[in-house]
Amino acid sequence: MPDASGIETQAFFKTIKLDAIDDSLPQEIKTACGVDVETCLECGKCSGGCSNVRIFDITPRQVVKLIKTGQEKPLLAMDALWACVSCQLCGDRCPAGIDIARIMDYLREKAYQKGIKATRYQVQLFHELMLGFIKKTGRVAEGQLIIRFNLKTGRYFKDADLGRRLFLKGKIKPFSSKIKNREDLRRIFQESIEREEDQ
Amino acid sequence: MSTVKTALVIGAGPAGMEAAVKIGGAGYRVILADRADSLGGTLRQLCSSFPRWEDPADLIAYKTEQINKCPLITIKTKTTVVAAEKNGNGYLVTLGSDGLTSEIQADAVIIATGFELFDASVYGEYGYGSFDNVVNSLEFEALLKEWQENQGKTASPGTVAFFKCVGSRDRAKGLPYCSRICCMYTAKQAGLVKELFPDSKCYVFYMDYRAAGREYEEFVRSVIEQRHVRYVRGRPAKVLPEDGRLLIRAEDTLMGMPVEIAADMVVLAAAIVPGPGTRQIARLFQIKSDEYGFIDYNRNEPAKAGDRVFFAGACGFAVETLGAIQQGAAAAAEVIALFNQPNGEEKNA
Repeated sequence: MPDASGIETQAFFKTIKLDAIDDSLPQEIKTACGVDVETCLECGKCSGGCSNVRIFDITPRQVVKLIKTGQEKPLLAMDALWACVSCQLCGDRCPAGIDIARIMDYLREKAYQKGIKATRYQVQLFHELMLGFIKKTGRVAEGQLIIRFNLKTGRYFKDADLGRRLFLKGKIKPFSSKIKNREDLRRIFQESIEREEDQ
Repeated sequence: MSTVKTALVIGAGPAGMEAAVKIGGAGYRVILADRADSLGGTLRQLCSSFPRWEDPADLIAYKTEQINKCPLITIKTKTTVVAAEKNGNGYLVTLGSDGLTSEIQADAVIIATGFELFDASVYGEYGYGSFDNVVNSLEFEALLKEWQENQGKTASPGTVAFFKCVGSRDRAKGLPYCSRICCMYTAKQAGLVKELFPDSKCYVFYMDYRAAGREYEEFVRSVIEQRHVRYVRGRPAKVLPEDGRLLIRAEDTLMGMPVEIAADMVVLAAAIVPGPGTRQIARLFQIKSDEYGFIDYNRNEPAKAGDRVFFAGACGFAVETLGAIQQGAAAAAEVIALFNQPNGEEKNA
Protein backbone atom coordinates (compact mmCIF):
# COMPACT_ATOMS: atom_id res chain seq x y z
CA MET A 1 0.00 0.00 0.00
CA PRO A 2 1.42 3.37 -0.90
CA ASP A 3 1.38 5.66 2.09
CA ALA A 4 0.69 9.40 2.01
CA SER A 5 4.05 10.14 0.42
CA GLY A 6 3.39 7.65 -2.36
CA ILE A 7 6.15 5.28 -1.27
CA GLU A 8 5.54 1.55 -1.32
CA THR A 9 6.09 0.51 2.26
CA GLN A 10 4.65 -2.96 2.14
CA ALA A 11 8.02 -4.55 1.43
CA PHE A 12 9.25 -3.46 4.84
CA PHE A 13 6.90 -5.72 6.69
CA LYS A 14 7.71 -8.88 4.85
CA THR A 15 9.77 -11.28 6.89
CA ILE A 16 13.43 -10.70 6.26
CA LYS A 17 15.56 -13.79 5.82
CA LEU A 18 18.70 -12.92 7.71
CA ASP A 19 20.72 -15.65 6.04
CA ALA A 20 19.85 -14.29 2.60
CA ILE A 21 21.55 -10.99 3.37
CA ASP A 22 24.96 -10.67 1.79
CA ASP A 23 27.33 -7.91 2.70
CA SER A 24 27.73 -6.43 -0.76
CA LEU A 25 25.85 -3.21 0.06
CA PRO A 26 27.78 -2.51 3.30
CA GLN A 27 30.97 -3.25 1.37
CA GLU A 28 29.94 -0.89 -1.42
CA ILE A 29 29.25 1.88 1.11
CA LYS A 30 32.57 1.16 2.78
CA THR A 31 34.42 1.55 -0.50
CA ALA A 32 32.45 4.51 -1.84
CA CYS A 33 31.91 6.50 1.35
CA GLY A 34 34.59 5.19 3.68
CA VAL A 35 31.94 4.33 6.23
CA ASP A 36 31.77 1.05 8.16
CA VAL A 37 28.07 0.70 9.04
CA GLU A 38 28.88 -2.07 11.50
CA THR A 39 30.20 0.61 13.84
CA CYS A 40 26.66 2.02 14.15
CA LEU A 41 25.41 1.76 17.75
CA GLU A 42 21.75 2.19 16.73
CA CYS A 43 21.42 4.97 19.27
CA GLY A 44 19.27 7.19 17.05
CA LYS A 45 21.07 10.43 17.82
CA CYS A 46 21.20 11.13 14.07
CA SER A 47 17.43 10.76 13.65
CA GLY A 48 16.65 12.63 16.84
CA GLY A 49 18.54 15.69 15.70
CA CYS A 50 17.84 15.52 11.96
CA SER A 51 16.68 18.93 10.79
CA ASN A 52 14.17 17.48 8.36
CA VAL A 53 13.19 14.19 9.95
CA ARG A 54 9.55 15.28 10.30
CA ILE A 55 9.20 14.96 6.54
CA PHE A 56 11.38 11.84 6.16
CA ASP A 57 9.82 8.50 5.37
CA ILE A 58 12.96 6.68 6.53
CA THR A 59 15.03 8.13 9.35
CA PRO A 60 18.82 8.46 9.15
CA ARG A 61 19.29 5.59 11.63
CA GLN A 62 17.00 3.41 9.55
CA VAL A 63 19.05 4.30 6.48
CA VAL A 64 22.15 2.88 8.15
CA LYS A 65 20.19 -0.14 9.36
CA LEU A 66 18.85 -0.78 5.84
CA ILE A 67 22.40 -0.71 4.52
CA LYS A 68 23.37 -3.24 7.20
CA THR A 69 20.55 -5.48 6.05
CA GLY A 70 21.45 -5.01 2.41
CA GLN A 71 18.14 -3.49 1.29
CA GLU A 72 19.03 -1.24 -1.57
CA LYS A 73 15.59 -1.02 -3.13
CA PRO A 74 13.81 0.99 -0.43
CA LEU A 75 16.94 3.09 0.04
CA LEU A 76 16.97 4.27 -3.55
CA ALA A 77 13.21 4.79 -3.64
CA MET A 78 12.89 6.65 -0.35
CA ASP A 79 11.65 10.19 -0.22
CA ALA A 80 14.18 11.04 2.48
CA LEU A 81 16.85 11.00 -0.20
CA TRP A 82 15.32 14.20 -1.60
CA ALA A 83 14.05 15.68 1.64
CA CYS A 84 17.55 15.55 3.10
CA VAL A 85 19.21 18.95 2.88
CA SER A 86 22.72 17.69 3.68
CA CYS A 87 22.95 19.86 6.77
CA GLN A 88 25.25 17.18 8.22
CA LEU A 89 23.92 17.44 11.77
CA CYS A 90 23.56 13.64 11.78
CA GLY A 91 27.18 12.86 11.01
CA ASP A 92 28.49 15.71 13.08
CA ARG A 93 26.81 14.34 16.20
CA CYS A 94 27.24 10.61 15.49
CA PRO A 95 29.16 8.90 18.34
CA ALA A 96 30.49 6.34 15.88
CA GLY A 97 31.62 9.08 13.51
CA ILE A 98 29.48 7.78 10.67
CA ASP A 99 29.18 10.31 7.85
CA ILE A 100 25.51 9.77 7.06
CA ALA A 101 25.27 12.81 4.78
CA ARG A 102 27.97 11.26 2.63
CA ILE A 103 25.92 8.05 2.43
CA MET A 104 22.83 10.09 1.46
CA ASP A 105 24.86 11.82 -1.25
CA TYR A 106 26.06 8.51 -2.60
CA LEU A 107 22.58 6.98 -2.60
CA ARG A 108 21.14 10.10 -4.26
CA GLU A 109 23.69 9.86 -7.06
CA LYS A 110 23.01 6.16 -7.46
CA ALA A 111 19.25 6.67 -7.61
CA TYR A 112 19.69 9.46 -10.16
CA GLN A 113 21.97 7.33 -12.33
CA LYS A 114 19.51 4.46 -12.18
CA GLY A 115 16.80 6.82 -13.36
CA ILE A 116 14.78 6.42 -10.17
CA LYS A 117 12.58 9.48 -10.05
CA ALA A 118 11.94 11.38 -6.87
CA THR A 119 8.29 11.29 -5.89
CA ARG A 120 8.56 14.51 -3.93
CA TYR A 121 6.99 17.51 -5.71
CA GLN A 122 9.18 18.68 -8.64
CA VAL A 123 12.37 17.94 -6.76
CA GLN A 124 14.20 17.06 -9.94
CA LEU A 125 13.33 20.41 -11.49
CA PHE A 126 14.42 22.26 -8.37
CA HIS A 127 17.79 20.49 -8.31
CA GLU A 128 18.35 21.18 -11.99
CA LEU A 129 17.46 24.85 -11.71
CA MET A 130 19.68 25.28 -8.70
CA LEU A 131 22.62 23.54 -10.33
CA GLY A 132 22.05 25.71 -13.43
CA PHE A 133 22.52 28.86 -11.36
CA ILE A 134 25.63 27.52 -9.70
CA LYS A 135 27.06 26.53 -13.04
CA LYS A 136 26.47 30.00 -14.44
CA THR A 137 27.38 32.26 -11.54
CA GLY A 138 28.97 30.11 -8.88
CA ARG A 139 26.25 31.15 -6.44
CA VAL A 140 22.67 30.29 -5.64
CA ALA A 141 20.45 33.23 -6.41
CA GLU A 142 17.58 32.45 -4.05
CA GLY A 143 15.23 35.11 -5.37
CA GLN A 144 15.63 34.19 -9.00
CA LEU A 145 15.58 30.49 -8.18
CA ILE A 146 12.24 30.78 -6.39
CA ILE A 147 10.75 32.89 -9.17
CA ARG A 148 12.01 30.56 -11.90
CA PHE A 149 10.83 27.47 -10.02
CA ASN A 150 7.36 28.90 -9.41
CA LEU A 151 7.04 30.04 -13.02
CA LYS A 152 8.02 26.59 -14.32
CA THR A 153 5.59 24.85 -12.02
CA GLY A 154 2.79 27.29 -12.76
CA ARG A 155 2.38 28.46 -9.18
CA TYR A 156 3.12 32.10 -9.91
CA PHE A 157 2.18 33.71 -6.63
CA LYS A 158 3.01 30.90 -4.22
CA ASP A 159 5.85 32.71 -2.46
CA ALA A 160 4.91 36.25 -3.41
CA ASP A 161 4.15 37.41 0.11
CA LEU A 162 7.15 35.68 1.68
CA GLY A 163 9.36 36.92 -1.16
CA ARG A 164 8.25 40.51 -0.64
CA ARG A 165 9.05 40.35 3.06
CA LEU A 166 12.41 38.70 2.48
CA PHE A 167 13.22 41.33 -0.14
CA LEU A 168 12.29 44.23 2.13
CA LYS A 169 14.52 42.82 4.85
CA GLY A 170 17.35 42.46 2.39
CA LYS A 171 17.47 38.69 2.76
CA ILE A 172 17.15 38.09 -0.99
CA LYS A 173 18.47 40.24 -3.77
CA PRO A 174 16.89 40.76 -7.19
CA PHE A 175 20.14 40.22 -8.99
CA SER A 176 22.69 37.57 -8.17
CA SER A 177 26.35 38.29 -7.79
CA LYS A 178 28.94 36.18 -9.58
CA ILE A 179 32.08 34.62 -8.24
CA LYS A 180 35.39 35.84 -9.61
CA ASN A 181 37.05 32.76 -10.98
CA ARG A 182 34.34 31.25 -13.15
CA GLU A 183 36.88 29.47 -15.32
CA ASP A 184 37.78 27.12 -12.39
CA LEU A 185 34.09 26.56 -11.81
CA ARG A 186 33.58 25.60 -15.42
CA ARG A 187 36.41 23.09 -15.11
CA ILE A 188 34.85 21.51 -12.00
CA PHE A 189 31.62 20.95 -13.88
CA GLN A 190 33.45 19.70 -16.95
CA GLU A 191 35.48 17.21 -14.95
CA SER A 192 32.52 15.88 -13.03
CA ILE A 193 30.63 15.35 -16.28
CA GLU A 194 33.61 13.52 -17.76
CA ARG A 195 33.93 11.40 -14.64
CA GLU A 196 30.28 10.45 -14.84
CA GLU A 197 30.68 9.52 -18.49
CA ASP A 198 33.62 7.29 -17.58
CA GLN A 199 31.50 5.28 -15.17
CA MET B 1 51.29 -22.39 67.58
CA SER B 2 48.32 -24.50 68.44
CA THR B 3 46.23 -21.34 68.51
CA VAL B 4 46.58 -20.66 64.77
CA LYS B 5 43.10 -20.01 63.55
CA THR B 6 41.46 -21.93 60.76
CA ALA B 7 39.16 -20.69 58.01
CA LEU B 8 36.96 -23.05 56.06
CA VAL B 9 36.48 -22.02 52.43
CA ILE B 10 33.59 -23.82 50.78
CA GLY B 11 33.99 -23.93 47.02
CA ALA B 12 37.26 -23.81 45.09
CA GLY B 13 36.30 -21.67 42.13
CA PRO B 14 38.12 -18.40 41.46
CA ALA B 15 36.55 -16.71 44.53
CA GLY B 16 37.34 -19.57 46.93
CA MET B 17 40.86 -20.08 45.57
CA GLU B 18 41.65 -16.40 45.92
CA ALA B 19 40.28 -16.30 49.47
CA ALA B 20 42.36 -19.35 50.41
CA VAL B 21 45.54 -17.86 48.94
CA LYS B 22 45.08 -14.60 50.80
CA ILE B 23 44.17 -16.10 54.19
CA GLY B 24 46.98 -18.67 53.90
CA GLY B 25 49.37 -15.90 52.90
CA ALA B 26 48.41 -13.97 56.02
CA GLY B 27 49.52 -16.90 58.18
CA TYR B 28 46.25 -18.63 59.04
CA ARG B 29 45.18 -22.16 58.33
CA VAL B 30 42.74 -22.74 55.49
CA ILE B 31 40.69 -25.76 54.61
CA LEU B 32 39.63 -25.39 51.00
CA ALA B 33 36.79 -27.80 50.30
CA ASP B 34 35.10 -28.50 46.98
CA ARG B 35 32.68 -31.19 45.88
CA ALA B 36 34.57 -31.62 42.57
CA ASP B 37 37.75 -33.65 42.21
CA SER B 38 39.97 -30.68 41.36
CA LEU B 39 40.26 -26.94 41.83
CA GLY B 40 38.78 -24.27 39.59
CA GLY B 41 35.01 -24.63 39.90
CA THR B 42 32.95 -23.64 36.88
CA LEU B 43 35.98 -21.81 35.49
CA ARG B 44 37.40 -25.21 34.54
CA GLN B 45 34.60 -25.64 32.01
CA LEU B 46 35.27 -22.36 30.24
CA CYS B 47 37.04 -21.76 26.97
CA SER B 48 38.86 -18.43 26.75
CA SER B 49 37.73 -15.31 28.61
CA PHE B 50 36.59 -11.73 28.19
CA PRO B 51 37.76 -9.05 27.72
CA ARG B 52 41.31 -10.22 26.93
CA TRP B 53 40.88 -13.66 25.36
CA GLU B 54 42.98 -15.30 28.08
CA ASP B 55 42.92 -19.02 28.80
CA PRO B 56 41.14 -19.73 32.11
CA ALA B 57 43.35 -22.80 32.54
CA ASP B 58 46.34 -20.47 32.99
CA LEU B 59 44.56 -18.64 35.78
CA ILE B 60 43.61 -21.91 37.51
CA ALA B 61 47.19 -23.18 37.16
CA TYR B 62 48.54 -19.95 38.66
CA LYS B 63 46.18 -20.00 41.63
CA THR B 64 46.72 -23.73 42.15
CA GLU B 65 50.44 -23.17 42.30
CA GLN B 66 49.99 -20.40 44.87
CA ILE B 67 47.82 -22.73 46.93
CA ASN B 68 50.24 -25.64 46.65
CA LYS B 69 53.11 -23.42 47.74
CA CYS B 70 51.31 -22.44 50.92
CA PRO B 71 51.73 -25.11 53.62
CA LEU B 72 48.83 -23.67 55.63
CA ILE B 73 46.21 -24.54 53.00
CA THR B 74 44.67 -28.00 53.03
CA ILE B 75 42.79 -28.95 49.89
CA LYS B 76 39.81 -31.23 50.36
CA THR B 77 38.33 -32.21 47.03
CA LYS B 78 35.28 -34.44 46.52
CA THR B 79 34.16 -33.04 49.83
CA THR B 80 30.82 -31.62 50.89
CA VAL B 81 29.61 -29.92 54.04
CA VAL B 82 27.26 -32.28 55.83
CA ALA B 83 26.54 -30.40 59.03
CA ALA B 84 27.57 -27.30 60.94
CA GLU B 85 26.92 -26.09 64.44
CA LYS B 86 28.01 -23.08 66.38
CA ASN B 87 30.84 -23.97 68.70
CA GLY B 88 32.31 -21.22 70.84
CA ASN B 89 33.91 -18.63 68.59
CA GLY B 90 33.42 -20.68 65.48
CA TYR B 91 31.72 -23.63 63.94
CA LEU B 92 32.06 -27.36 64.29
CA VAL B 93 31.69 -28.48 60.71
CA THR B 94 31.15 -32.02 59.52
CA LEU B 95 32.69 -32.68 56.12
CA GLY B 96 31.71 -35.66 54.02
CA SER B 97 33.91 -37.34 51.47
CA ASP B 98 33.40 -40.72 49.80
CA GLY B 99 30.87 -41.68 52.42
CA LEU B 100 33.24 -40.88 55.27
CA THR B 101 32.73 -37.93 57.56
CA SER B 102 35.22 -35.89 59.52
CA GLU B 103 34.79 -32.98 61.88
CA ILE B 104 36.77 -29.78 61.84
CA GLN B 105 36.72 -26.63 63.93
CA ALA B 106 36.47 -23.50 61.76
CA ASP B 107 37.02 -20.09 63.27
CA ALA B 108 35.52 -18.46 60.21
CA VAL B 109 33.78 -19.65 57.08
CA ILE B 110 33.80 -18.32 53.53
CA ILE B 111 31.04 -19.52 51.26
CA ALA B 112 32.00 -19.51 47.60
CA THR B 113 29.63 -22.06 46.16
CA GLY B 114 29.15 -20.45 42.77
CA PHE B 115 26.16 -20.67 40.46
CA GLU B 116 24.13 -22.86 38.16
CA LEU B 117 22.35 -22.20 34.90
CA PHE B 118 18.60 -21.75 34.81
CA ASP B 119 16.81 -24.72 33.27
CA ALA B 120 16.09 -23.50 29.73
CA SER B 121 13.64 -26.32 29.01
CA VAL B 122 11.03 -24.12 30.69
CA TYR B 123 10.74 -22.47 27.28
CA GLY B 124 9.11 -25.03 25.05
CA GLU B 125 9.35 -22.56 22.18
CA TYR B 126 13.16 -22.83 22.15
CA GLY B 127 13.22 -26.63 22.15
CA TYR B 128 16.00 -27.04 24.71
CA GLY B 129 15.99 -30.70 25.66
CA SER B 130 14.02 -31.65 22.53
CA PHE B 131 16.33 -30.52 19.73
CA ASP B 132 19.90 -31.81 19.78
CA ASN B 133 21.45 -28.62 18.52
CA VAL B 134 19.89 -26.35 21.09
CA VAL B 135 22.39 -26.12 23.93
CA ASN B 136 22.91 -23.92 26.95
CA SER B 137 25.95 -21.72 27.27
CA LEU B 138 27.95 -24.07 29.54
CA GLU B 139 27.35 -26.98 27.19
CA PHE B 140 28.54 -24.74 24.40
CA GLU B 141 31.73 -23.90 26.32
CA ALA B 142 32.51 -27.62 26.32
CA LEU B 143 31.95 -27.71 22.55
CA LEU B 144 34.20 -24.70 22.06
CA LYS B 145 36.94 -26.42 24.05
CA GLU B 146 36.58 -29.50 21.88
CA TRP B 147 36.71 -27.42 18.69
CA GLN B 148 39.72 -25.51 19.93
CA GLU B 149 41.58 -28.71 20.75
CA ASN B 150 40.81 -30.23 17.36
CA GLN B 151 41.39 -27.04 15.45
CA GLY B 152 41.48 -27.67 11.71
CA LYS B 153 40.01 -31.13 12.12
CA THR B 154 36.44 -30.15 12.92
CA ALA B 155 33.80 -29.17 10.39
CA SER B 156 32.43 -25.64 10.66
CA PRO B 157 29.30 -25.39 12.80
CA GLY B 158 27.72 -23.34 9.98
CA THR B 159 25.28 -20.80 11.36
CA VAL B 160 25.18 -20.39 15.11
CA ALA B 161 22.49 -18.30 16.78
CA PHE B 162 22.91 -17.03 20.32
CA PHE B 163 19.88 -16.11 22.43
CA LYS B 164 20.49 -13.83 25.35
CA CYS B 165 18.21 -13.34 28.36
CA VAL B 166 16.96 -16.94 28.47
CA GLY B 167 15.35 -16.94 31.89
CA SER B 168 16.75 -13.53 32.74
CA ARG B 169 14.57 -10.44 32.62
CA ASP B 170 11.49 -12.61 32.45
CA ARG B 171 8.84 -12.09 35.07
CA ALA B 172 6.56 -14.75 33.67
CA LYS B 173 8.60 -17.94 33.53
CA GLY B 174 12.08 -16.92 34.56
CA LEU B 175 13.71 -14.39 36.83
CA PRO B 176 13.21 -10.65 36.84
CA TYR B 177 16.88 -9.78 37.16
CA CYS B 178 19.61 -9.32 34.58
CA SER B 179 22.20 -12.09 34.91
CA ARG B 180 24.88 -9.54 34.14
CA ILE B 181 27.59 -11.73 32.59
CA CYS B 182 25.71 -13.26 29.63
CA CYS B 183 26.24 -10.28 27.32
CA MET B 184 29.95 -10.62 27.78
CA TYR B 185 30.37 -14.38 27.54
CA THR B 186 28.00 -14.53 24.57
CA ALA B 187 30.17 -12.00 22.73
CA LYS B 188 33.19 -14.11 23.67
CA GLN B 189 31.57 -17.35 22.48
CA ALA B 190 30.42 -15.86 19.17
CA GLY B 191 33.81 -14.23 18.68
CA LEU B 192 35.54 -17.56 19.32
CA VAL B 193 33.35 -19.34 16.77
CA LYS B 194 34.27 -16.72 14.17
CA GLU B 195 37.94 -17.09 15.05
CA LEU B 196 37.92 -20.88 14.84
CA PHE B 197 35.68 -20.96 11.76
CA PRO B 198 35.92 -17.71 9.78
CA ASP B 199 33.37 -18.98 7.26
CA SER B 200 30.75 -19.61 9.94
CA LYS B 201 27.98 -17.14 10.63
CA CYS B 202 27.08 -15.97 14.10
CA TYR B 203 23.95 -14.10 15.10
CA VAL B 204 23.36 -12.76 18.57
CA PHE B 205 19.77 -11.96 19.50
CA TYR B 206 19.72 -9.37 22.23
CA MET B 207 17.42 -6.86 23.87
CA ASP B 208 20.33 -4.60 24.67
CA TYR B 209 23.90 -5.48 25.32
CA ARG B 210 25.16 -4.62 28.75
CA ALA B 211 28.89 -4.18 28.74
CA ALA B 212 29.50 -2.30 31.97
CA GLY B 213 33.06 -3.05 32.87
CA ARG B 214 36.60 -2.16 32.07
CA GLU B 215 37.33 -2.89 28.39
CA TYR B 216 33.91 -4.55 28.06
CA GLU B 217 32.27 -2.18 25.59
CA GLU B 218 35.40 -2.23 23.45
CA PHE B 219 35.34 -6.03 23.61
CA VAL B 220 31.77 -6.31 22.36
CA ARG B 221 32.35 -3.72 19.64
CA SER B 222 35.45 -5.59 18.47
CA VAL B 223 33.42 -8.79 18.21
CA ILE B 224 30.83 -6.96 16.11
CA GLU B 225 33.18 -4.87 13.99
CA GLN B 226 36.28 -7.01 13.61
CA ARG B 227 34.90 -10.53 13.94
CA HIS B 228 31.66 -9.69 12.12
CA VAL B 229 29.24 -11.26 14.53
CA ARG B 230 25.77 -10.00 13.63
CA TYR B 231 23.76 -8.51 16.46
CA VAL B 232 20.00 -8.58 15.98
CA ARG B 233 17.92 -6.67 18.50
CA GLY B 234 14.95 -8.77 19.49
CA ARG B 235 14.10 -11.69 21.70
CA PRO B 236 13.56 -14.79 19.57
CA ALA B 237 10.05 -16.15 19.70
CA LYS B 238 10.31 -19.62 18.31
CA VAL B 239 12.70 -22.31 17.13
CA LEU B 240 11.27 -24.72 14.56
CA PRO B 241 12.94 -27.77 13.10
CA GLU B 242 13.13 -27.36 9.31
CA ASP B 243 14.97 -29.65 6.91
CA GLY B 244 17.30 -30.82 9.64
CA ARG B 245 18.10 -27.25 10.62
CA LEU B 246 16.61 -24.85 13.12
CA LEU B 247 14.41 -22.04 11.86
CA ILE B 248 14.40 -19.08 14.22
CA ARG B 249 11.61 -16.54 14.22
CA ALA B 250 12.12 -13.16 15.80
CA GLU B 251 11.52 -9.49 15.30
CA ASP B 252 14.24 -7.04 14.49
CA THR B 253 12.91 -4.42 16.85
CA LEU B 254 15.18 -1.75 15.45
CA MET B 255 13.31 -1.90 12.17
CA GLY B 256 10.05 -3.29 13.44
CA MET B 257 10.32 -6.12 10.97
CA PRO B 258 9.88 -9.82 11.51
CA VAL B 259 13.03 -11.80 10.72
CA GLU B 260 13.79 -15.43 10.13
CA ILE B 261 16.99 -17.37 10.00
CA ALA B 262 17.86 -21.01 9.49
CA ALA B 263 20.60 -21.94 11.95
CA ASP B 264 22.56 -25.09 12.61
CA MET B 265 22.91 -24.51 16.29
CA VAL B 266 21.23 -22.41 18.95
CA VAL B 267 23.06 -21.40 22.12
CA LEU B 268 20.92 -20.26 25.03
CA ALA B 269 22.50 -17.85 27.50
CA ALA B 270 20.51 -19.18 30.42
CA ALA B 271 20.09 -17.10 33.55
CA ILE B 272 22.54 -17.39 36.43
CA VAL B 273 20.88 -18.93 39.48
CA PRO B 274 22.29 -20.12 42.80
CA GLY B 275 22.74 -23.88 42.94
CA PRO B 276 21.05 -26.16 45.48
CA GLY B 277 24.38 -26.34 47.33
CA THR B 278 24.17 -22.66 48.14
CA ARG B 279 20.70 -23.05 49.66
CA GLN B 280 21.86 -26.00 51.73
CA ILE B 281 24.95 -24.18 53.03
CA ALA B 282 22.85 -21.12 53.84
CA ARG B 283 20.54 -23.34 55.89
CA LEU B 284 23.42 -25.07 57.71
CA PHE B 285 25.04 -21.79 58.75
CA GLN B 286 21.69 -20.10 59.36
CA ILE B 287 22.38 -17.16 57.09
CA LYS B 288 19.92 -15.18 55.03
CA SER B 289 19.32 -15.75 51.34
CA ASP B 290 17.30 -13.51 49.07
CA GLU B 291 14.13 -14.65 47.33
CA TYR B 292 16.15 -16.27 44.53
CA GLY B 293 18.47 -18.16 46.86
CA PHE B 294 21.51 -15.89 46.50
CA ILE B 295 23.24 -15.22 49.80
CA ASP B 296 22.05 -11.89 51.11
CA TYR B 297 24.44 -9.07 51.84
CA ASN B 298 24.23 -6.08 54.08
CA ARG B 299 25.19 -2.66 52.90
CA ASN B 300 27.69 -1.94 55.62
CA GLU B 301 29.67 -5.17 55.28
CA PRO B 302 28.92 -6.54 51.84
CA ALA B 303 31.19 -9.60 52.15
CA LYS B 304 29.62 -10.71 55.40
CA ALA B 305 26.74 -13.17 55.52
CA GLY B 306 26.43 -13.86 59.24
CA ASP B 307 28.35 -14.47 62.42
CA ARG B 308 31.87 -15.38 61.26
CA VAL B 309 30.46 -16.35 57.91
CA PHE B 310 31.47 -14.50 54.78
CA PHE B 311 30.80 -15.07 51.10
CA ALA B 312 32.31 -14.36 47.71
CA GLY B 313 31.61 -15.02 44.06
CA ALA B 314 28.47 -16.01 42.22
CA CYS B 315 26.70 -17.51 45.26
CA GLY B 316 25.99 -13.86 46.10
CA PHE B 317 24.97 -12.85 42.60
CA ALA B 318 26.05 -13.40 39.01
CA VAL B 319 29.63 -12.20 38.66
CA GLU B 320 32.43 -12.61 36.17
CA THR B 321 35.76 -14.28 37.02
CA LEU B 322 37.55 -11.03 37.78
CA GLY B 323 34.78 -9.90 40.11
CA ALA B 324 34.74 -13.30 41.82
CA ILE B 325 38.45 -13.02 42.53
CA GLN B 326 38.03 -9.50 43.89
CA GLN B 327 35.20 -10.66 46.12
CA GLY B 328 37.31 -13.61 47.26
CA ALA B 329 40.04 -11.20 48.30
CA ALA B 330 37.51 -8.97 50.06
CA ALA B 331 36.07 -11.91 52.03
CA ALA B 332 39.62 -12.99 52.90
CA ALA B 333 40.33 -9.47 54.19
CA GLU B 334 37.31 -9.74 56.48
CA VAL B 335 38.54 -13.07 57.84
CA ILE B 336 42.10 -11.84 58.32
CA ALA B 337 40.86 -8.70 60.10
CA LEU B 338 38.73 -10.87 62.34
CA PHE B 339 41.56 -13.27 63.12
CA ASN B 340 43.84 -10.36 63.92
CA GLN B 341 41.63 -9.16 66.78
CA PRO B 342 43.44 -9.66 70.13
CA ASN B 343 41.00 -12.26 71.41
CA GLY B 344 39.68 -13.33 68.09
CA GLU B 345 36.54 -11.41 68.96
CA GLU B 346 34.71 -9.33 66.47
CA LYS B 347 34.98 -5.71 67.54
CA ASN B 348 31.48 -4.75 66.64
CA ALA B 349 29.87 -8.10 67.15
